[in-house]
Amino acid sequence: MTKSYGRYALLRAAQALVVVLLAYIGTFLVISVLPGDPITNMLRDPQNGLSDDQIQQIVAHYGLDKPVIIQLILSLGRFVTGDLGFSLQSNLPVSQLVGDALPSTLTLAGTALALSVVIAVAIAYGVQYLPSRWARGVLRSVPSLFLSVPNFVVGLVLIELFAFRLHTFTTIDPDSAAATLFAALTLAIPVSAPLAEVLIANLDHESRQEYALVARSRGLSQARLFARHLVKPSMLPAVAMIALVVGELLGGAVITETIFGRDGLGTVVQKAVTSQDVPVLQAVVSLAAVVFVTVNLLADLVSPLLDPRLDVKSERKVVVPV
Amino acid sequence: MTSLTALLRPSDRLRAARQSAVRVPPTVAVAAVVIVIVLLWSLVPWLFTSFDPSVGDTAEKLTAPSGAHWFGTDHLGRDVFARVVYGTASSVTSALVAVSIGLVVGSIIGLASGFLRGAVDVVLGRVVDVLLAIPSFLLAVVIVSSLGFQTINAAIATGVSAIAIFARLMRAEVLRARGSVFVEASYLQGGNRLHALLGHILPNTYKSVVALAVLQFGTSILVIASLAFLGYGDPPPASDWGLLVASGKSYATAPWLIYAPALVIVITVLSVNRISTWLRRTR
Repeated sequence: MTKSYGRYALLRAAQALVVVLLAYIGTFLVISVLPGDPITNMLRDPQNGLSDDQIQQIVAHYGLDKPVIIQLILSLGRFVTGDLGFSLQSNLPVSQLVGDALPSTLTLAGTALALSVVIAVAIAYGVQYLPSRWARGVLRSVPSLFLSVPNFVVGLVLIELFAFRLHTFTTIDPDSAAATLFAALTLAIPVSAPLAEVLIANLDHESRQEYALVARSRGLSQARLFARHLVKPSMLPAVAMIALVVGELLGGAVITETIFGRDGLGTVVQKAVTSQDVPVLQAVVSLAAVVFVTVNLLADLVSPLLDPRLDVKSERKVVVPV
Repeated sequence: MTSLTALLRPSDRLRAARQSAVRVPPTVAVAAVVIVIVLLWSLVPWLFTSFDPSVGDTAEKLTAPSGAHWFGTDHLGRDVFARVVYGTASSVTSALVAVSIGLVVGSIIGLASGFLRGAVDVVLGRVVDVLLAIPSFLLAVVIVSSLGFQTINAAIATGVSAIAIFARLMRAEVLRARGSVFVEASYLQGGNRLHALLGHILPNTYKSVVALAVLQFGTSILVIASLAFLGYGDPPPASDWGLLVASGKSYATAPWLIYAPALVIVITVLSVNRISTWLRRTR
């Protein structure tokens, strides 16, 4: 077991490293090879008021006068050594921009993740145990509804109702606890839907197992059966999904932060796109890939330890509703 | 075991028995009607409204929904319903473009990986891993920022960000079909690989891929609306659904400018998702 697990862990880690490097290369190619050439457009834009000397400096720093493949190698070398370059817009180091924005986004995404798990568990519990068949049916269609509402509509409706009409929070102070909670709710709603789907399916499966029946026959109440026996096996596949959800949280942050006026990574991306700030875009996208790959690697490394039934030699199977 | 579970929930057996006969549930019928109306809006918008989407009467600006203006009017006095109806073509076409890109490229990648296995599978597998590693909305944003802010580019970006999902499903389906007895039988009867692929494997994969394509059509509408909302699509006076919501948010006194197009997006995507779920369950 330990020997094959060590081999498995090493292989997965190597694979993760390859994916991160490839993601960097892919992003680089998309940004610099596709038509438009943002950097030169950006530099030539008279609005930036860059002198010829400054342009020369930037061109030299990014090696823009060299062939693409050389640029790529230089850029990759800087990335590997942790140098993310400078923002073309503000001239600040990208690492500083990202570092300043990160706490806000982490708070938002963390709250959203917690909220989405709560919402998903509540929906799954209701679908399984609500007394009225009608109510169960209505609740069963909630995940599908959540998947059909655009993120920005949820945000705007929440702001319209709770900020403008009920004055529960104000958009002037987007970092207040109440405003953060509503922003997180906006982000949590589409994310909770697939989690709820997986939980519903697994809960249904687990509650048909004999051990659940035995527990019921011993006189356990539904709530206790749910809390003591069913939650754990139903959550395992959901944990694997949470890793996938992290990516969605990062993507959704672009819209949510823009709507709520928060200064986070999403806003950094949105500004970078509007001003074609290539180094910032490249850095944020690569970091997103690093985060996603790392979280998945951890999930893959931890799950065989949590659940001995998983065989590390065969391919891992994640239950994801398509 | 079987008898115990049967005792537990007898209603499930009844439901299973009823589902075995192919019939269209009422919600699916409603969803189909919605989709047909939306498609008609995009093909022949002038049949549904007598108003011009780009000409407004400033004397009637920001009026609430009424019998004359179903969705009210905007800050230039333009009929919002007309703008929604005329904006449908762009929203629907770009979603179709996006799904086509994801479906065709993703299916080819998945088919090659699953059927050829070996080195091809390893290389394509890493490509798919990379596409999955970048959050799909972020990927779409980066691609559209590189291609330029136009609705067609937003559609292409959305399509590329969906390739990985199609590739993964197709690969899994091909692997499943390839290991089945009828493919083995086809080889035993002297069929070659191409015959097995076209005659037996592909026909057994398309149903779940079609269900995913329908689902992705809904998702693409959402993603493209989100990109338009951020201003990465065609600029006004275009009236993509997402753009309508974005321009409506500046007028707090006229919430119908947000609610009307938002409702159209939600009902459309909900209908698409309903049909996709039904397709998946009745295979």
